[in-house]
Amino acid sequence: MKWIKQDLQQYVQAKEYVDTIIIPLLPFQLSNDSNLEKDAFQSEILSVFNRELEKELTGRVLLAPNFHYLTSADKEAEMERVHTWVEDIQTQPFHHVFFVTSDSGWKKVEQSLQGSLIWLPATATESMKASDIQSVIRSQVKEVTELIRSYWKG
Amino acid sequence: MSEDKQPVSRRQFLNYTLTGVGGFMAAGIMISPLRMAIDPVLQQGEGESDFTNVQLAEEDITNVPQRVDWEIEQVDGWYESTVSQTAWVYKDDNGDIVALSPICTHLGCVVSWEGSEDHPERFYCPCHDGLYYKDGVNVEGTPPTAPLPVYEHKIENGMLFLGNSQSREEA
Repeated sequence: MKWIKQDLQQYVQAKEYVDTIIIPLLPFQLSNDSNLEKDAFQSEILSVFNRELEKELTGRVLLAPNFHYLTSADKEAEMERVHTWVEDIQTQPFHHVFFVTSDSGWKKVEQSLQGSLIWLPATATESMKASDIQSVIRSQVKEVTELIRSYWKG
Repeated sequence: MSEDKQPVSRRQFLNYTLTGVGGFMAAGIMISPLRMAIDPVLQQGEGESDFTNVQLAEEDITNVPQRVDWEIEQVDGWYESTVSQTAWVYKDDNGDIVALSPICTHLGCVVSWEGSEDHPERFYCPCHDGLYYKDGVNVEGTPPTAPLPVYEHKIENGMLFLGNSQSREEA
């Protein structure tokens, strides 16, 4: 389910079935010209990935809106903001919290995150054909789906 | 100029002319409602154009369900987008092709054939352990309450074409 009216209508009625939330962590910047295209592209790829992942597991997963932060921002400070998000989310019966990002900066502070970090290295590049990007994303979705399912079993 | 050289009298000529012009006028008035009345017959079957070649040859379809993915253009108002679609395709015991939608009727997750080792010969939903028999009918006692929807299908030049999916009532 997504953060849209139609899905949330369903969510309110089926809360007990939806125990997993996915929060995308997306960096943003407009100050560094040479990285602009690359950064925007990565963010696009991650959004497609999240959409496809949500589609596979839509009945048990809520995809939260993107958590945006400045690329240059201090991770410790951003962590505080993430905590407030999780606090609010925990008022609902979510047992599994996942963060999805391709920013390796989160990997170092993973321990303080109240949830599991799924770090996707940026594998797709701008020079790839659309069909290749699709198949890369599809295989990533398949693997992450398996990973989330292993949390459900455990 | 003798009388017998004028077979058409003035009165007759006017009669013919008036009938002719009146006929044209009547036809002009009648043509729009008539065209409207028979319009459904003239429509080229609209459903036909919704079929998509899913790049699977008929001879490659076995009795084991296989997953096919394809994309369709969806127009929603002025917003056009490509939507990816998936189906599980196999031939049943009579050799008829069956194309099932993978969307779980419980809460919409994607089911897969033998998706769990504990449940052979079943469609399995990973979200809440929903199960379906091979014909797409939901297994009682699991969360889904309706069978998997079925895609309309046809074979053209040996290739499989799939149309819209249609939901089914509980069997």
